[in-house]
Amino acid sequence: MREIITFLRHNTLAVVGLVILLVLVGLITIGPSISPYTPTKLDILHKLEGPSFAHWLGTDAFGRDVLTRIMYGGRATLTIGVGVVAIAFVVGVFFGMLAGFAGGWIDNVIMRIVDAILAFPALVLAIALAAAFGPSLQNAMLAVAITLAPQFARVARSQALSISVKPYVEAAISLGLPTHRILLRYVFINGLGPLLVQSTLALGSAILQTASLGFLGLGAQPPLSEWGADVSSNLQYVRSAAWVALSPGMAILLAVLSFNLIGDSLADWMNPRRRSELR
Amino acid sequence: MASFILRRLIALIPVMAIVLVIVFSLVRMIPGDPAVTLLGPGATQGQIDALRAQLDLDQPVVLQFLHYVLGLLQGDFGFSLKTGLPVANEILTRLPATIELSVCAVIVAIIFGIPLGVLSAVRPNSLFDHVTRVGSLIGVSMPAFLLALILQLVFGTMLGWLPVSGRMSSFMTVQPVTGFAILDGIITGNLYAAWSAVQHLILPTAVLAAFLAATLGRFVRNTMLDVMGEDFIRTARAKGLHNSDVVLNHGLRNSLLPAITVIGLKFAEMLGGAILTETIFAWPGIGRYMFEAIKNRDYPVIQGTTLVFALMFVLTSIIVDVLYGVLDPRVRHRMK
Repeated sequence: MREIITFLRHNTLAVVGLVILLVLVGLITIGPSISPYTPTKLDILHKLEGPSFAHWLGTDAFGRDVLTRIMYGGRATLTIGVGVVAIAFVVGVFFGMLAGFAGGWIDNVIMRIVDAILAFPALVLAIALAAAFGPSLQNAMLAVAITLAPQFARVARSQALSISVKPYVEAAISLGLPTHRILLRYVFINGLGPLLVQSTLALGSAILQTASLGFLGLGAQPPLSEWGADVSSNLQYVRSAAWVALSPGMAILLAVLSFNLIGDSLADWMNPRRRSELR
Repeated sequence: MASFILRRLIALIPVMAIVLVIVFSLVRMIPGDPAVTLLGPGATQGQIDALRAQLDLDQPVVLQFLHYVLGLLQGDFGFSLKTGLPVANEILTRLPATIELSVCAVIVAIIFGIPLGVLSAVRPNSLFDHVTRVGSLIGVSMPAFLLALILQLVFGTMLGWLPVSGRMSSFMTVQPVTGFAILDGIITGNLYAAWSAVQHLILPTAVLAAFLAATLGRFVRNTMLDVMGEDFIRTARAKGLHNSDVVLNHGLRNSLLPAITVIGLKFAEMLGGAILTETIFAWPGIGRYMFEAIKNRDYPVIQGTTLVFALMFVLTSIIVDVLYGVLDPRVRHRMK
């Protein structure tokens, strides 16, 4: 706890990121219960109205309240982000640790597959996979997780390589502990720091990529509200009623920015040379 | 040098083999029988069999893969399910538009990113440094489609300064020589067309370049800060060299090498962004071609464009390696 407070005291940008994130989380958790509107209720009489006291961010082409749709869409978008990173983390860290700890041909095979996945531009592969799996939110999440997992595998492997030669791991091996326990209790726990930083930064890319898939029609399907899909479904009104398409887009920007501000500051903090600069 | 490039190419073989397996598997990942899924519920058995034969699905998987790879080696990327045209030709006619856009974006990103990074590093923790840091984080966090919409709205709709879609005004044509619109306009002496192409290029280039410039600026700043703490910088200062000499000749030159790697790596991510950018700006490149293929579930086109994007990335990484060799005397020496 004290470590966290020291970190925040020296990192204004991380605090800014945290505040943006808390406001967004508050908006999507408490917001829907305060809002007098529902995300799907149509009100054709009040369609495409500009921001007003009744509708803070205006209404869309069906008269639905834009702010309420952002609150509900945020639930989808943030859950997707966390879900995608969780899948990528588990898969990537498992194979990365295995590669670094086992070495030899296992390491070679796993890392060549990682190289091959990284040989695709991430969004291109995610789009191709999502198109193959069929357009749905779950498939989009899986597709993005596949493109993010190799980054975790790389970090986990390098952590496993440096930790597995430490005396305490050698001691555990000579005590005859089973491999899975050594990996979990010693290698994984001690390599967690950089992996958490990677997770924070990956949250930003996960949200950005899934929103991009949603924008291209490969993510959440209507009537489910999701920020990326909401931007593209309102594109045709962008000239007459800019707020309808721009508001969910700004929400994506703020969410991704909050994770990047925190992740970037964490990465600086983990780097001893940079940390001395900050203090 | 030639043997170095050859060795790099050989090292790529296993990676490219797995890349091919992934691209090949795309059609096979379609849930259920791909032919039935693609044709929809109303298809007759005859249509299904015909599509299975066209997609090579009626063969054992190993044979399918061999056919696919042999076809690729002969430049056969299959035929579009939508138009029936050969995918390879369609990609080749659209490739120059994508290359033109991405190369311009890289150049613009370098022109803006590197000086911003250097200026930030020269005065770390100054107001300028903080503003560029936040600016670069916003640039990295900005969805390409949002920036595109804002720029279209401001410079297209509100100010009316720049065109917001296409590669050239609809009433202009230019004789294709190289496929690069600006170059073709200049070569054929059609300067109006060339100027129109430049105007159409500005907004999509800005969208693509923003992300790369942001990443590059931040990276150059951090590397510069590390380099400026080195002993040889202190020596240079002790020799009484002018500050600009120290910063540019000693600091920047040593920070640029790692920056080349970042440009190469981020170029790949930028290509992903090209799909969104080309779609929004109706830019007739392979990104938009891929987007249309997704809408039409045109799998041979999705496979072909995915493979070309991967190839472009792999080629970039080889070019980066070679550039490294040319620019860094230590690497050059090892290569000999």
